[in-house]
Amino acid sequence: MNVNRREFMAGLGAAGLSLVQPPRMRASAPTAPVAIARCKTYGPEFLAAAGKMFDQLGGMGRLVKGKTVSIKINLTGGETTRLDHLPQGRTFWTHPRTVGAVIHLLDRAGARRIRVVEGAWAWPASLEEFMLKAGWDPDLVLGAAPRVELINTNMPYKGKTPYTRFQVPRGGHLFPAFDLSTAYAESDVLISMAKIKEHATAGVTLSIKNLFGISPTTIYGDKVPLDEPAPIPYAGRGEIGHAGSRQPPRSSPPEKDPTSPRDGGYRIPRFIADLAAAAPVSLAILEGIETIAGAELPDGENTRAVSPGVLVAGTNAVTTDAVGMAVMGFDPRADRGHAPFETCDNTLRLAEELGVGTRDLGQIEVVGTRIQDAVFNFREHDGPRQVRRRRRRNA
Amino acid sequence: MISLQNLAPLRWPSGPLEIARREKTEGFDPAIRQTLERWHEPEALEILKDTPIDCIVIGWAAGLPEDAAQQRSASRLLEAARRQNLAVVGWVEGSADPRAAIAAAKTAGLAAVAMANFKGSADLPVIAWSDRAGVPWDSEAAAVAITGNVWPGVSMANDGADATSGPTSVPWLDSNSWYIQMASARLKPPLWVMFDPPGKGAVVPGHSYVKAICDSAAGGGRWVISLDDHLRAGLAARNPAAEQSWKQIAAAARFFKEHAEWKSYRSLGLVGVISDYTGGNFELSGEILNLMSRRDLLFRAIWKSQVTAEALAGLKVLVYADAAPLAGESRRTIADFVEQGGLLVTGPEWPADGRPAPPDFPTELDVRALGNGRLALARKGITDPYQVAIDTQLLLSHRHDLVKIYNSGSSGCTRFTASMDGRTALLQCLSYADRGGLPTIWVRRRYRSTRLWTIEARAAALLPETSEEYAGVEYHLPANSPPYLALEFQT
Repeated sequence: MNVNRREFMAGLGAAGLSLVQPPRMRASAPTAPVAIARCKTYGPEFLAAAGKMFDQLGGMGRLVKGKTVSIKINLTGGETTRLDHLPQGRTFWTHPRTVGAVIHLLDRAGARRIRVVEGAWAWPASLEEFMLKAGWDPDLVLGAAPRVELINTNMPYKGKTPYTRFQVPRGGHLFPAFDLSTAYAESDVLISMAKIKEHATAGVTLSIKNLFGISPTTIYGDKVPLDEPAPIPYAGRGEIGHAGSRQPPRSSPPEKDPTSPRDGGYRIPRFIADLAAAAPVSLAILEGIETIAGAELPDGENTRAVSPGVLVAGTNAVTTDAVGMAVMGFDPRADRGHAPFETCDNTLRLAEELGVGTRDLGQIEVVGTRIQDAVFNFREHDGPRQVRRRRRRNA
Repeated sequence: MISLQNLAPLRWPSGPLEIARREKTEGFDPAIRQTLERWHEPEALEILKDTPIDCIVIGWAAGLPEDAAQQRSASRLLEAARRQNLAVVGWVEGSADPRAAIAAAKTAGLAAVAMANFKGSADLPVIAWSDRAGVPWDSEAAAVAITGNVWPGVSMANDGADATSGPTSVPWLDSNSWYIQMASARLKPPLWVMFDPPGKGAVVPGHSYVKAICDSAAGGGRWVISLDDHLRAGLAARNPAAEQSWKQIAAAARFFKEHAEWKSYRSLGLVGVISDYTGGNFELSGEILNLMSRRDLLFRAIWKSQVTAEALAGLKVLVYADAAPLAGESRRTIADFVEQGGLLVTGPEWPADGRPAPPDFPTELDVRALGNGRLALARKGITDPYQVAIDTQLLLSHRHDLVKIYNSGSSGCTRFTASMDGRTALLQCLSYADRGGLPTIWVRRRYRSTRLWTIEARAAALLPETSEEYAGVEYHLPANSPPYLALEFQT
């Protein structure tokens, strides 16, 4: 269905309220429209496509005008890893030019302050330095508008309150609450800007999985102290997030049930669903101009560079990810054991249970390009490992 | 007097003296004895034909009863070496009488002797050898051989099962490159780097030897190649696998012999680490160099006695961690460096002049703006070399990176140097991991032309420069690139 901004605004009903009403206030899983666009390049084409999508979603002005906006980008893994020779922004990271374009649009829409946030892996310094080490030009981001800040939310936030507690509505699946950088508490609008990717542990990397990076590794990372946050990040989130081999420091809420499965396929989907409920995403942007197939990070012949040439955006993380999954050739209602959740639980279901949003495509209004016209089947680009895994499962 | 400048030396353990010494060690068995005997025969030198090895280092005197037998029995080996135009160096150690050893060596026609703590003059070239603690830095010997080095590579757990990790959780690397750079900055004679393969009967693959050769050569030194028992036995028995490893070793040795001029290139690093590199100062500043090297923070080792404005030219940061405060002309030179825009990282003895200018990352350093530059003072003294390496790199900022390497396998220990006339720059990369990668190398500057050198493909190839959306220039290297490669840039 194609609607222009005026038609869309005129037709706003209860669903349209999701633009201004945080999901946590709603009793059941809400829906919200999702826009799809074809886009093959990162320059002016992306800027035009993103602007049109934002209009289709009701315009950014009412979402960001006068607000502090935080854009959670996706810079997962180490800074000197590449898929083949391709820059990270063309495969498994957010591309810096798309970040710059979105900042430009947000500024034009009247955002008061724009922050680009990410928990840079085991990185004890600024996000800008991380970008520089990786080979990004930070000026592509910082120069996109006035008042742009870069914040490494793995570091204690400057000031007297480095962390703020975020309660998980409905009690959460794994954690009842998280201690996150106060930068997130200062955000009026949280934007999750992710690459469209598969994920070895969680099935897919979309706007919800991207939130894994908001959990500070000074608290949820490996080797952190037992009693209080580490002064700097030391490592990734293997111990607490994936394996459950230990709890966060005593200064932060422990997980609800330490006897629950210690399996990444159980834990990670719950961890990120809890985060999606605790820190609601106001705008999810999924970029699949170019990306990686097979996993979320380069893994030899098991991962391939692909060019779906598609963008998905919406004001609800679950509805947007549900459409994103459909565009990837997956069923967002798939249960564990079915692609792409062969070895894990469905994050979207878990987030839906927390009232974040619906994953039922029948209840999600899609604007712009139709799903069937945008589908790029990731599994057609499987590497040998995925093929083996699927054969084993079928056998 | 022979020139030891560009010899390719090989340790040649053989004969009664080596047998007597090895008999006292764990694991000695008849097979090892047999190998040591066979290597004392002239026929053993056959393996050196058509290789770049032009010098063998044999045990000569150790103050043991077997000394005389060793020297006497070596005559046939020495004669064969002469016929093959090989220089022979006699290794003298223990309580051996140096004068007697020199006299015997001269009589036997050795090219030189290597001995510790030799003073005075001799009518035979003397190579001064010592461990790291006792290096005769001002020696004018024919060469200086330094022992106590490590076998380069990813450090493994004691049981060999896993790589051990450093403070960053990434695998720890053992490398001599930083030490060689430091030593080469001071020594005038050629530097011979002495170390042996891992012990306990380990079988060392050929590619590990190649990395050992590259690690020393990239640093500007020359490893006196030392083979393990298995390989020497295999070579004596003409074992094909051993001969294959030997070919790899010889190829690497030849490569660096043919690029001897690279050893004279100077570091393009932007960080200078000043120290007298003695005692505790060596322990601290040496480890700073080691950890900077591991982080690919390109440095220049500067001996305290060599601090001049000219020596600091081109640097953006100085690190001084010695216990004694800087004084005199050195201090004034460094103060000028800061005044003119440089950064000095040092201990609390330096006055906290200027105004506070805290950086945007947590650090124990008191960073202050002074003149056009900055001071970074460790209020409680400099005790943690790892933190110094990290903080220095962040204070410098990756904005000034000259080189970035993606998919390097195991990163670190990259060297970026230039010829004295500045016309040629050289980037040497060594992956210590065993697996091949698909590296991308980024350099800040666009050069007129670039050639790729590898040991395996000896012809130099011109690499296309790839236009990327980010600043700088990228070089996309082929899949399964060898662990060692060098990019030679013409300005």
